[in-house]
Amino acid sequence: MSFRAKVFLSIAATAVLSVWIVAAVVSTLVTRSFERRDAQRTASLVNQFQREFYRRGVEVARRIDAVADSDSIQRLALNLAGHADTSPYFSEAQTLAQEQSLDFLELVGPDATIISSAEWPARFGYKEDWLTATPDWKSQGVFLKKEDLADGEALGLITVRTVKAGEGLLYVAGGRRLDQEFLDSLPGAEGMRVRLYRVPGEAAPVDSDATVTTLPLRGRDNQLLATLLIENSRADLVALKKYIQGTAAIVGAAGVLLGLLLSFWTASRVTRPLRSLASSVREVAVGNWDTRATISSSDEIGQLARDFNGMTEQLVEQRDRMIQAERVAAWRELARRLAHELKNPLFPLQITIENLQRARDASPEQFDEVFRESTSTLLTELGHLKTIIGRFSDFAKMPAPQLEPVNVNQIAREVIQLFEAQLQAPGRPAVKATLQLAADAGEAPADPEQLRRALHNLVLNALDAMPHGGELVFRTSRHDNKVAIEISDDGEGLTPEECDRLFTPYYTTKQHGTGLGLAIVQSVVSDHKGTITVHSELGKGTTFRIELKA
Amino acid sequence: MKLPVWAWLALSSVAIPLANAATRPHYGGSLTVELSSAWTTLNESSALSIPITETLVRLNARGGIGPALAVAWQHDADFKRWRFSLRPKVTFHDGEPLNGASAAPSLLAALKKKYGDVSIQTGGQAIVIQSSEAMPDLLADLGAPRAAVFRQSEANPLIGTGPFRVIAWEPGRRLVVAAFDDYWGSRPYLDSIAIEFGSGHARADIFDIPAGPARRILPEGIATWSSSPRTLVAITVAITAVNAQAPGLLQALALVIDRAPIVNVLAQRKGEAAFSLLPQWLSGYAFLFQSAPDVPRAKQLVTQLQIGQLGLGPISLSYPANDAFLRSVAERIALNARDAGMAIQPTPGPLNNALNNPGGTLRLVEWQLESTDAAAELQRFGEPTQLDSSKPEALYQAERSLLDHVIPLVHLRETFGFTPRVHIQGSDPFALHLEDAWVQH
Repeated sequence: MSFRAKVFLSIAATAVLSVWIVAAVVSTLVTRSFERRDAQRTASLVNQFQREFYRRGVEVARRIDAVADSDSIQRLALNLAGHADTSPYFSEAQTLAQEQSLDFLELVGPDATIISSAEWPARFGYKEDWLTATPDWKSQGVFLKKEDLADGEALGLITVRTVKAGEGLLYVAGGRRLDQEFLDSLPGAEGMRVRLYRVPGEAAPVDSDATVTTLPLRGRDNQLLATLLIENSRADLVALKKYIQGTAAIVGAAGVLLGLLLSFWTASRVTRPLRSLASSVREVAVGNWDTRATISSSDEIGQLARDFNGMTEQLVEQRDRMIQAERVAAWRELARRLAHELKNPLFPLQITIENLQRARDASPEQFDEVFRESTSTLLTELGHLKTIIGRFSDFAKMPAPQLEPVNVNQIAREVIQLFEAQLQAPGRPAVKATLQLAADAGEAPADPEQLRRALHNLVLNALDAMPHGGELVFRTSRHDNKVAIEISDDGEGLTPEECDRLFTPYYTTKQHGTGLGLAIVQSVVSDHKGTITVHSELGKGTTFRIELKA
Repeated sequence: MKLPVWAWLALSSVAIPLANAATRPHYGGSLTVELSSAWTTLNESSALSIPITETLVRLNARGGIGPALAVAWQHDADFKRWRFSLRPKVTFHDGEPLNGASAAPSLLAALKKKYGDVSIQTGGQAIVIQSSEAMPDLLADLGAPRAAVFRQSEANPLIGTGPFRVIAWEPGRRLVVAAFDDYWGSRPYLDSIAIEFGSGHARADIFDIPAGPARRILPEGIATWSSSPRTLVAITVAITAVNAQAPGLLQALALVIDRAPIVNVLAQRKGEAAFSLLPQWLSGYAFLFQSAPDVPRAKQLVTQLQIGQLGLGPISLSYPANDAFLRSVAERIALNARDAGMAIQPTPGPLNNALNNPGGTLRLVEWQLESTDAAAELQRFGEPTQLDSSKPEALYQAERSLLDHVIPLVHLRETFGFTPRVHIQGSDPFALHLEDAWVQH
């Protein structure tokens, strides 16, 4: 993640978090305020309901008293006392209920038989045993009762009066509905809704966007008859919270935008010297050792630039010293190798010439024969010298590679084919060559001659590592857009120190090596922008791995 | 046709002496009548008899047949050809003389409803009625109100030969009739009768007191007259493929209905509990159908029928929307049905008093008797076979099969109140004959 992105995220996160915290706190305070208000309104409404309930109860009692005292009820009571037919009074309750504006009114005889019913006229003749079960109705007052109707049930504020009818009693039971119309008459605040729910035991259907307070409504025997649902609409609160959230979102978005601008400004201020320093570092990395960072401030970044400049100056000095030392070491090594290489052929040359001199002096008759043998030897040794000089010359004159698509598997087969006769030569310890070539190895841009030469050197090196025979494995593979060629032997193996110096020119572990074979391999691989690595374990063998860009 | 002796005795017991023997009848004067029901046609069946038309023969209250517009008749041996001699010197209200040609059209229209290939030949005062099928009950058919002889004109919808002629007719609102001075029989005492429909304020000389729960306190001096039970209130249902449970449903409903409260309270005792189509006074065997409510048995039937599990919802019981009495009966039946676990929903509907109920729902209807001929009335109920009123066994069997689709509830009487100035000299238990009424000046 870039520094600019980090700065932007920091500023944006700070702005958003701050706004969110403020919005959350304000929302919480607003919610609590609304809850307090709703609680007060609900308490007020409950009080009003209870007052109205009481007032209507008094009114119902007064009207039922009026019914009980009416002439028609007195006449009915007299008829009942005389066991007269009550069928003419069938519709009396309806008439009286209409006169007294009652929703419920039943006239019930001493045997609990309904004489007349205003709310359900067809129920005459049926029993209302609950009326005769209570001996004293005067003390019962007004109570809630669920009334059966032809089309269902209704809740009523009911009271009962008795009128003496001979030996028995005439029951006058009636009242008014407790229904939504009653509840609608309560003065409620805006956003409040009062409902009557008459199905106890089931979850009341409430508006999900409202707070609900329930008030159980119980009957004479304390049984639950209905539930009063007081709903306080949360629409205002929801709207206000939405407004707060909307405002917070806008402020947060503005904060993010501001953070973006600030991050650009800050990043540009802070990263400009860093980018300059980074550019200097990249210049040094590509070899421009004389590059210097611009020191534009005296802060930590300025100090960093100063330290960087000091470091590059020291590096240049150390590099120069190292080059000088390496040059000296190289000349010394070259001198040592030349002395060593040239010393070996020169000694036979000297011996041969001395033999010629001794033969001429001691036995002239054998001189011709000795001469022929000696000249042959001289020519051989001179050939060795020429070979040595030629190899040095070749190493010095390594040409630039001519790249073309090369099938690495084909190159590998060709190299092995060159060595087939040598591998199977009689009298030589057997070396088994194994090809493990990947079908998808494909082609790589390379100079075929130089690549073939490098692989040739590696095979030679492997054969030299297996003087007692073994297995030579030629392996190719392709991955990550690279082609790999591995040549392994199961010879003696190399020590880590030998591995470190393996590619140094003129370094060899063999008695007759020039020390240029692996140097040439490394030179070829390097010219192909590839890499060569060696992995070796003592007693197990050595593997050289060349990787070329595909 | 003759009523049994016991039926005659029953009728006689309900008849009331309407005329004060000490008061002599007077000619002249007008009578006002108020009826709570509204006549929409001039053929309404009512216990209030205002004869505008007449039939060839007359059925009396005892079931006997006497001459009316026809003075003599003969038939062949197999009852396929009847010859009637019309009463001479009879004219219609518009002055047209009654003869075979003027009487034939209305007679033919009435008889074709029962006898498809009936034909009528006329010649002077003679009428010959022929059919390929036997017509043993032709006299009863011709004595029914629907076989009245009448004519129509643009100005007058009903031109008869009866003692009253139509002066003004506003269907559903008002009917005014006047005495027909050229009536072949005795002229009515009254000069005119004005009938207002749908008021029921009891301010007229004669007013009906309909059956119903409304308690009415009659003014002092008002006398009342009630007919024999002549209106059947019943529940009908059609048995259709959709309503295959109908027989069991009706049986369960019949078992759970308590008729006594309906008669005593809702009808205010203006009738009798009905278990049959024909009232006891007419059939003589109605008591055989009587039964008591049996709620446990009804519950058992409901359980067996699985009525509640049919998913039909409440069963609709329709009643005429403007009939308070039938509404209260429907509500009571719904309450009774609930005791057996049946859900019945009283539903106001159009006025349709046909006992034939092609719909699938229950319907509460009122069915008025038109005559005192039990066989003719059963055939009106829908009995397809020819019946002989003198064979009560056949009538009983016919009625029994008709009751598969009907639950009789109550036979209502028609009750009228009248002021002291009204005197009705002659009446029978079946009808109040205003042609014999007179008013005290």
